[in-house]
Amino acid sequence: MTLEQGATGLDRPARGRLHRLRYRLKIILREPTTIIGVLAAALFAYLIIVPILSLLVDAVQVQFGDERRIKQDVGAFTSYYLERVFSSRISHDMFWEPLRNTLTVAFGAIVLSMLVGGTLAWLLSRSDMFGRRWFATALIVPYMLPAWTFALAWTTLFKNRTVGGQSGWMESLGFTPPDWLSYGQVPVIIILALHYSPFVILLFGNALRRFDSQLEDSARILGASRLTVTRKIILPLMRPALMSAMVLIFAKCLGEFGVPYVLGLPVDFDVLATSLYRNIASRQSGVGAVLAGAIMLIGIITITIDARLMKEARRFVTVGSKGSMNRLSPLGLWRMPATLFAALMFLFSVGLPIATLFLSTVMKVPAQFTFDNFTLDYWIGTDLKTVALTTGILLSPELWNAAWNSLTIVGTASIVSGLLGLLVGYVVARTPVRPLATFLRQVTFLPYLVPGIAFATAYLSLFAVPRGPIPALYGTTLILVLALIADQMPYASRAGISAMMQLGKEPEEAAQVAGAGWLRRMMLIVVPIQKGSLTTGILLPFISGIKGLSLFVVLAVPSTDVLTTYSLRLVDYNYTQAANAVVLIIAALAYFGALLGQKLTRTNLAEGLGS
Amino acid sequence: MPKINLSGVEKNYGGNAANAVADLDLEIGDGEFMCLLGPSGCGKTTTLRMIAGLENLSAGEITVGPRVVDSIAQGVFVPPEKRQMGLVFQSYALWPHLTIERNIDFGLRLRNMPPSDREARVTSVMKTLGIEKYRARYPSQLSGGQQQRVALARMLAVNPEVLLLDEPLSNLDAALRLEMRAELKRLHQEFKTTIVFVTHDQWEAMTLATTIAVMSDGRLQQVGTPNDIYDRPANLFVARFVGNPPINIVELGQENSVLSQNANRFLSPHGGELGAASAIALRPEAIRIARQGDDVPAGVLSGGAQVTGILPTGGSWIIELTCGAEKLFLITHQPPDAEVGEAITYWAKPKALHVFDAAGNRLDAADRLLRPERKLNS
Ligand SMILES: Nc1ncnc2c1ncn2[C@@H]1O[C@H](COP(=O)(O)OP(=O)(O)OP(=O)(O)O)[C@@H](O)[C@H]1O
Ligand SMILES: [Mg+2]
Repeated sequence: MTLEQGATGLDRPARGRLHRLRYRLKIILREPTTIIGVLAAALFAYLIIVPILSLLVDAVQVQFGDERRIKQDVGAFTSYYLERVFSSRISHDMFWEPLRNTLTVAFGAIVLSMLVGGTLAWLLSRSDMFGRRWFATALIVPYMLPAWTFALAWTTLFKNRTVGGQSGWMESLGFTPPDWLSYGQVPVIIILALHYSPFVILLFGNALRRFDSQLEDSARILGASRLTVTRKIILPLMRPALMSAMVLIFAKCLGEFGVPYVLGLPVDFDVLATSLYRNIASRQSGVGAVLAGAIMLIGIITITIDARLMKEARRFVTVGSKGSMNRLSPLGLWRMPATLFAALMFLFSVGLPIATLFLSTVMKVPAQFTFDNFTLDYWIGTDLKTVALTTGILLSPELWNAAWNSLTIVGTASIVSGLLGLLVGYVVARTPVRPLATFLRQVTFLPYLVPGIAFATAYLSLFAVPRGPIPALYGTTLILVLALIADQMPYASRAGISAMMQLGKEPEEAAQVAGAGWLRRMMLIVVPIQKGSLTTGILLPFISGIKGLSLFVVLAVPSTDVLTTYSLRLVDYNYTQAANAVVLIIAALAYFGALLGQKLTRTNLAEGLGS
Repeated sequence: MPKINLSGVEKNYGGNAANAVADLDLEIGDGEFMCLLGPSGCGKTTTLRMIAGLENLSAGEITVGPRVVDSIAQGVFVPPEKRQMGLVFQSYALWPHLTIERNIDFGLRLRNMPPSDREARVTSVMKTLGIEKYRARYPSQLSGGQQQRVALARMLAVNPEVLLLDEPLSNLDAALRLEMRAELKRLHQEFKTTIVFVTHDQWEAMTLATTIAVMSDGRLQQVGTPNDIYDRPANLFVARFVGNPPINIVELGQENSVLSQNANRFLSPHGGELGAASAIALRPEAIRIARQGDDVPAGVLSGGAQVTGILPTGGSWIIELTCGAEKLFLITHQPPDAEVGEAITYWAKPKALHVFDAAGNRLDAADRLLRPERKLNS
C-alpha cells in the first residue's frame, strides 16, 4: 500500500503513525475487554487505593473533635497524632509495649510452630509413620477453624477469678491457675502456634516432597555423613520454604485480633491490633490512623521480604525435576511414638478445643461430670434466668439475625469478588493494553500487604463521613461488603489470573472464528470452562470471611452484627456458653464449607487456604 | 469464492523483537490448497492468525475477495467472528466442557440453523470423518487423533469458504497422519474449499499442496507449485530446506576444493553468461556414478570420487561419496553398482544443475542455458 503525499500537508511517516494510531484505537475499542478493564481499574482504585490514602492523610490532619485540644482547625496539617503515638507519655502503653508484645507473640508462635509443624511435616512427607494420609488432612483442620475458637476453649479451661462470669474448669476442679497461664502472652503464643502450624506443614511439607532423594544419595555416595547431608544439602534447599512460612506467620500474627483480645484483656496485655481497636472504639481516629499506618508499614515490609524469598524459592524449583523421587525414611522403633505424637497434636489442636467448647455449652456447672449437670438449655432452653439472653442460643433472634448477616454479607462479597477476580483474570490475560493489565494485577494485590484490621480502619476513615456524592456508609451492610470484597481481591484475582492464563486463549479464539461475539463467548465458553475455579474462587473467600473477625470488629455495628462479632459481644458480656455455642456454629460452617468445596472441586482446599 | 490477498503485511509483537512477519505479499487463489512451509519460528502461525483476524497487523493490508478485511491505511478491521473462516488450531482447542456433538454444532447454533438440519449436518460431517461413535463423549475422553478429527469436523460443519489449518497433523502417529492427509486431500476436492495449511514438514507440503509458500525468518522465500519449489528453488535457502537427503551444494571458485574445480571446469565454457554464478546445487537423485570413465556421457558435469558409505533405506540406497575433504550424497533406486572403498566417477546432466549467484538467488541465465527445453516463466 503506497500512501499519497501532500494532500493533507503531513509527511509520510507522520501520516503512517496517524493511520497506525487510528487502527490501534479501533482494535482496542472493538471489544469490551479494555473498557471493562478500565472500569475495573477505576473501581479498585476507589475501593483499595483511596481508603489507604485517606487513612494516611488522617494520620497527619486534625480530626473532628480534636480542634480544641490541638488548637487548630479540622483538616489542618498536624504532627500531633504522630507524636502522641511515638513519643508522648502514653506512647509506651499505646505503641511501644504493644509493639513489643506483638513481636514476642509473633516470634514465640513462629518458633513453636516451626518445631511442631516442621516435625509433623517431615513425618508426613518423608517417614513411614502410620496413617499419613489421614493425618495430612486432619492436621490442617486447625487452620480451617477461627483462631479464637482456641482462645475461647482456653478460657473455658483455664479461666480464673481475675474475671467474672462462669468459672473455668480448672478452677471448678479445685486449683486456681496462675494469671500467666490463664491470660496473656503464654496462651496467645501457644494458640497462635497451633493455629498456624498447618502453614509450616503445607509449605515445608511441599518443599520436602519435591526434594529429590537423588540429591541426598549423590552426596552420600561422595562420602558425606548423614548429618553433613542434612546441614549442607537439605537445609539450604529447604531454607526458602521455611523462611517463607515464617514470614507468612509473622504477617498473620501482626493483624491477629481475636486471640489477644479474648486472652489479653483481663491482664491488660495489648498487641498492636488490640491497641488500634481500643483507640477506634474510643473514637481516637487520628491516633488510630497512625497505628493502622504503622501496622501497614510493618506488613508491607514483611511481605516484601517474603516476595524476595519466593523469588529465591523459584530458583530452586528446578531442584525437584521430573526425575525426582523421594524415599521414605523408616522410623523403626520410633514408628509408634511418632504416630502417637501426631495423634496428640491433633487432639490438642482440634479434638480438645472443640470438645471443651461443646461440653461447656451443655453443662450447668463447669467440669462437673454428673448426669444431672447436663442440659440443652444453652442451646434451646426458654425462660433462662440470665439478664439479657433469656432463651437458648438457637432460639435467640439475634443469633439468626447475625447468621443471616454473615451469610448474606460474606456470601455477596465472595460471589462478587470471585466474579471480579475472573474478570480481572480475563482482562489481564486478554487486553492489548499492557499497562492496564499490570495496574490491575498490582492494585488487586495491594490489600494483601495490609492486615485486615488496618484495612478496616482505612475504610472507616474514608466512609465514616459523606464524601461528594457518596453518603456516609458507616453502620450499613454495604461498607462491610465493600471492605470484604477489597480484602478478598488478592486471592480472587490471583485465582482468576492463573485460571485464565492456564486456559490460554485458543478455546475462546476457536469460538470467535466460529462466529461468536464477545458476550456469547463469555457465556458459552469462558465462564462454563472456568466453573471449577470460579467455585473455588468464591468458596475460599467465603470460608475465610465467615471465620474472619478483624474486619468486622471495626466496621460492624450491633444492627449489622455477624456471627463473629456477635460471639465477641457475648464474650464481652460474659455469656460464656452462648459465645462458645456461636463459635462452634462458625467452626462448623467453615469446616463443612471447606469439605463441600473439596467435594465440588475435587481439590485440596486446605492448600489454597494457606495462601 | 474468495481470493485472499496479503500485501505488504508486517507483524511486530512489540518490544524490541524483530518482525515476526515482514513485507509479505501473498495471493491465495480460489480453491487453492496453499501450504505455508518453513522452519520453526519463521512466522507461519502468525501469518495464519493474521488472515483469521486473531492477530492485528503492524503494516499492510489483507483482502478476501472484493472485501478489505484488514488495513492500516484504511483503518479497517473486520473481527474474526465476521470473517467466516474456519481455523483448526495446532492444539485443537476443543471446548472441554462440551460434548463432541456440541463442539461440532456450536457454529451451526450460532447461525440459527433449525435443529433438524443441524442434526443432519452434524451427523454427515461426523460420518465423513469417522467419529460418529464418540458423539456423546467429552474431548478429554478421545485420543489425539480423534480430537484432531473433531477439530476438523467442527470447522467443516459450518462449511467455511476458507479453511485455515495450523499443523493439524503434527501430533498424529505416522499411519494416522497418512490417513488424514488423504482425507484432507479428498475433502479439498469434494468441498472445493480454499485451504491454507501450515506445516514444517516438507513431505506433507509436497503431497498435499497445489501451491507452496516457503517462509524463513518472517520473509517469503518462494511461492510455487510443489514441482516448482523442488525443481526450481528460488534461492539457496529453499534449495536447502526442501529435499531429503538434502541437496548437495558446491561453492564455485574454491582453490582447494576438487568439487569446486570440477564444477568450474564444467561451467567455464559459459564464462560470459554465467559470470555471476557463485554456487551450484545438485539433488541427490540427479547424481549418477560410473565404474569406468568411458561410461560417462559427454557434456556432463563429472569428476572422480571414492565411495565411502552405502546406506540401504529400504527400496533405495543413499551413497556417500568423498572427494578430497568434501562429501556428496546421492540416492539411487537400483542396487548400487559399486562397493565401499571403490574409486568411481560421478556425473550429472546439465539440466539437473541449480546455479545461484553470490546473494544466493537463482541465476535464471543458467536455466536458459542448461535447461533450454523447460518452459520458464520469469
Ligand atoms: N505472542 C507473541 N509475542 C511475541 N512474539 C511472538 C508471539 N508469537 C510468536 N512470536 C514470535 O514470532 C515469531 C514467529 O512465530 P510463529 O508462531 O508465527 O512461528 P511458526 O512459524 O508458526 O513456528 P512453529 O513451526 O514453531 O509453530 C517467532 O520468533 C516467535 O518467537
Ligand atoms: Mg506455529
